[in-house]
Amino acid sequence: MARTPSPTACIATLSAASLLALTACGNGGGDGDGGDASAWILTGGGWPQIEDDFERWNEENPDQAISVEAYENDAYKEQIRTAVGAGEAPTLIMSWTGGALLEYLEGERIIPLTEHTAELEDRIHDSVFQNGVIDGETYAVPLNDVQPVVLYYNQELFDEVGIEVPQTWSEVEEAIDVFNDNDIAPFSLAGGSVWPALMWLQYLTDRHGGEEQFTSIIEDGASWNNESVLFALETIQELGVNGGFIDTYQSISAAQNEDAQLLADGQAAMLLQGSWVYATVNDDFPEFAESGNFGFTTFPVLEDGQGDPSNIVGNPANYWSVSADADEASQEDALAYLSEHLYNDETVQNMLDAGSLPPLEGIEDQIAETEDADFLEFANELVSEANHFQLSWDQAVMPEHEQALMDNLSDILSGNITPEEFAENMDAATGV
Amino acid sequence: MTATPKVQAADATRSGQRSVKVSRQGPSFIMALPAVALFGFFALVPLVGVVVISFLEWNTVRGSIEWVGTSNWEFVLGDRDFTWRALQLTVMFVIGSYLFQAPVALLLGVFMAGQQKYRAVLSVLYFLPLLFSSVAVGLTFQSLLSPNYGISAALDFLPLPNDWLSNPDLVMWVMIFVVGWCFIPFHALLYQAGVRQIPETMYEAATIDGAGRMRQFFSITLPQLRYTIITSSTLMLVGSLTYFDLIYVLTGGSPANAVRILPLDMYIEGFSSHNLGNASVIAVLLVTIGLTMSLLLNKLSGSTKMESDKAGA
Amino acid sequence: MTHAASTETRHPDAGRALDPTQPDGGVEGTKGFGSTGRGTKPVKPYQSRNVIGGVLGWVWLGVIILPIYFIVITSFRTRQDLASNNQLVPTTEPTLTNFQRVIENDFFHFFTNSVIVTLSTVTVVLAVSVMAAYYITRSTSWGGSRIFQLILLGIAIPVQATIIPVYYLIQFLGLYDSLWALILPQIAFAIPLSVLIIVNFVRDIPNELFESMRVDGAGEWTILTSLVLPMAKPALMTVGIYQALQVWNGFLFPLVLTQSRDVRVLPLSLWEYQGQFGVDVPATLAAVVLSAVPLLVAYIFARRYIVAGLTAGFSK
Repeated sequence: MARTPSPTACIATLSAASLLALTACGNGGGDGDGGDASAWILTGGGWPQIEDDFERWNEENPDQAISVEAYENDAYKEQIRTAVGAGEAPTLIMSWTGGALLEYLEGERIIPLTEHTAELEDRIHDSVFQNGVIDGETYAVPLNDVQPVVLYYNQELFDEVGIEVPQTWSEVEEAIDVFNDNDIAPFSLAGGSVWPALMWLQYLTDRHGGEEQFTSIIEDGASWNNESVLFALETIQELGVNGGFIDTYQSISAAQNEDAQLLADGQAAMLLQGSWVYATVNDDFPEFAESGNFGFTTFPVLEDGQGDPSNIVGNPANYWSVSADADEASQEDALAYLSEHLYNDETVQNMLDAGSLPPLEGIEDQIAETEDADFLEFANELVSEANHFQLSWDQAVMPEHEQALMDNLSDILSGNITPEEFAENMDAATGV
Repeated sequence: MTATPKVQAADATRSGQRSVKVSRQGPSFIMALPAVALFGFFALVPLVGVVVISFLEWNTVRGSIEWVGTSNWEFVLGDRDFTWRALQLTVMFVIGSYLFQAPVALLLGVFMAGQQKYRAVLSVLYFLPLLFSSVAVGLTFQSLLSPNYGISAALDFLPLPNDWLSNPDLVMWVMIFVVGWCFIPFHALLYQAGVRQIPETMYEAATIDGAGRMRQFFSITLPQLRYTIITSSTLMLVGSLTYFDLIYVLTGGSPANAVRILPLDMYIEGFSSHNLGNASVIAVLLVTIGLTMSLLLNKLSGSTKMESDKAGA
Repeated sequence: MTHAASTETRHPDAGRALDPTQPDGGVEGTKGFGSTGRGTKPVKPYQSRNVIGGVLGWVWLGVIILPIYFIVITSFRTRQDLASNNQLVPTTEPTLTNFQRVIENDFFHFFTNSVIVTLSTVTVVLAVSVMAAYYITRSTSWGGSRIFQLILLGIAIPVQATIIPVYYLIQFLGLYDSLWALILPQIAFAIPLSVLIIVNFVRDIPNELFESMRVDGAGEWTILTSLVLPMAKPALMTVGIYQALQVWNGFLFPLVLTQSRDVRVLPLSLWEYQGQFGVDVPATLAAVVLSAVPLLVAYIFARRYIVAGLTAGFSK
């Protein structure tokens, strides 16, 4: 390179480099002719079924093919908002509804789907479908399984120490003592990923004061300095200190399913996690899944709490919206996929076979025939009998406040701040 | 990494002496144009941009931009606890990294400059970390230091902690170590090259005078290496301000707040929270610190040089 | 301080105290490079044993090797093997399936992208920096030093700080998610250090050489290519190798400025593999090992040049 003898060679090198780069960039921008639809999905959980579903769609409709890319959860959240803001969103935008969907709508980033989804509306549980409806217009439709948060446990460890799975909070406290005496961690928790701790915060707040506590904060702009929230935060810090959580909880990552692994390996007795972990355990820890020791139950009752014990938290589902920034041909392909292909028989069967529960009406018979009937019937009952289904707070808040919520929760986990400081910081961040 | 050395100390003197004889006709500006244009457009324009954005409330999804005066500044420097903690952590990280890297790199460099065959072989191996990207290093240490795999599982008979990456009291030291693992080889190379340039006659003379090893090190090696020390120190110190990727990867993308130094804080505020205004305030802080540190180092090295000049005269 | 002082007398120009070529008197093209790398005249600093250095040297070897050893042996395991055996002892049943998985996951595509981005960036950086260095050192107008000062400003700015505006600038230009988005900003951010290193070399070219060429009627392009380029070769080596390592291993720009698989480069692909392989640590580490292989091969074949080239420009 350094030996080039003439100025022309110098310039030639420059332009050669440019050309080289240019040709390689060709694929970046999209090829133009019509259907160029794309979708981003996540990795893990029940997402492989969704990927397969797209593959079948693409095989059956090669001229309306949709390209699919899978992201890890945190990476997805980071990328999608940037991409939408830049007008570079995939044709199908996945969200958990909540604040993000409201923001997309405000920025006119998504188009109404009402005309195309009437048939879906009839098939899907109303409580789940309504999450995607804003002011009577459908902007997002569910795309996968209902994801309530449940309490998993390892029966073998309970047998070992001779106690029952706790149903009330005082039984939880008892179990913590017994397990600690036996050098077994009572609860696995992926504190390194922070969001699993949010499940604790949500359930404890709800059991303590009922669903209206959070609703008042999010909808009426009430202060985070709320008795039930403070109680929940204090309890979480206590569990961290008194050996309720496994002692390495701050470095365990949910992205690599380390929390589930601890349960499967018999290092921790219980795990509060989303229903998708059931499929993960089946896939990644088949020995444990088949051992008969893999149990699941509801979050314990708080004896003197005000909340309805049938309340659940989690994600009603993930949802598809269609990008307003996509070209018309891509939009049409995406809409065709939504109206013709979503929750088709084969996919529903695959979801059930994988232990995921689609939010569909009248599938009880189908559930009963599956291998995972126990879990699916449990989840189905949980969802249909719930008085209230609280969307994950990180999704419910406006997107610009999500990070503040997670950061402060992370500080709660590490004991850096007190519950009161948490409330103060959240009020400052959200401008209360 | 994007390290940033500065050898201006040496420059200043040189240009001072060179500028006396100037040729009549210099090259045309076309020569400098491509560099100036590229640098101006992709580095200086964004630099101005970041100052402007720090005064904006900008939501790209909603498509709203609003001039909000100093309110981002007031929030970031006022109510926001993270800023001050990030600043403290940054200072700790920069100083800690320097105190670890500088002596080890210097001693290794001197060691590598030796003639023995085995030292040459070791030098070949020392280079290996430079071949790994920060993502690769991050993933490597993530699994090596995981509570479930790696050394915690392999050496469980030793009373080692297994919460390397989660214990807030440990994780900062782990980061300093891993960053050192990556960058010490490069600095050791610089020192090795520096030591090899010291004329042998100086050591021979010292040996005849009866100076011992320690004395030779302090009275010949160190003073002779001072420009290497300045280059390497600037690289280390200003470079520490930019270590973002390693920490980001090592803590799994959702970093524990215990190692949330300023560059990381800016990234999270900008690309996870999408608070572009706040993130830009942090960015301006970073730029200010970087500039101040470079100026100080420049001053410092300048005065050191003057003193040694006097000593030499 | 007597010995140090005596050297100072020998080299009154303090700024050149480290210039190895001074005692030899020659400003030949290979200066710096030859004396640091080839070891033609390396000097033995010590006669007696360096105990501290020796101990540190061996300890450091362990520190360097252990993580590399760990990822290499782990990449040959199955997941079950990892869970059930001592993790620091190589497996008795090595498998290549992890590598196969990584390669099937478009590894070579990502590799090609990395090569394109690195080569383009470094080529352009070298070309524009050497031109700028020539202008800066030989310019008679006030512009030369002004430009130098402006460019030096870039050295003190942490790149991260401008990533948000860079992102929107790239967006504005319609280059988001293309290889251009990686090449152009990385060129810009590599320019300051590259110019500084090259300027330090070009400055040392004796004025007489420029003048005699000019007398011979050489234009500025001829001077650039037949005088400046050969004389600055060690600096170009340093800049080329250093910036190539930076760009090849860079993570922030790809993370922020690209998203699709088409334009993914190796470091980012590692990050994505991790999300994709999840709990499968051996597969992730196999990807780590594979990502280092290209540079390892380069290092094995061109070790002398890389090591010497990397330091030549910095030691000035």
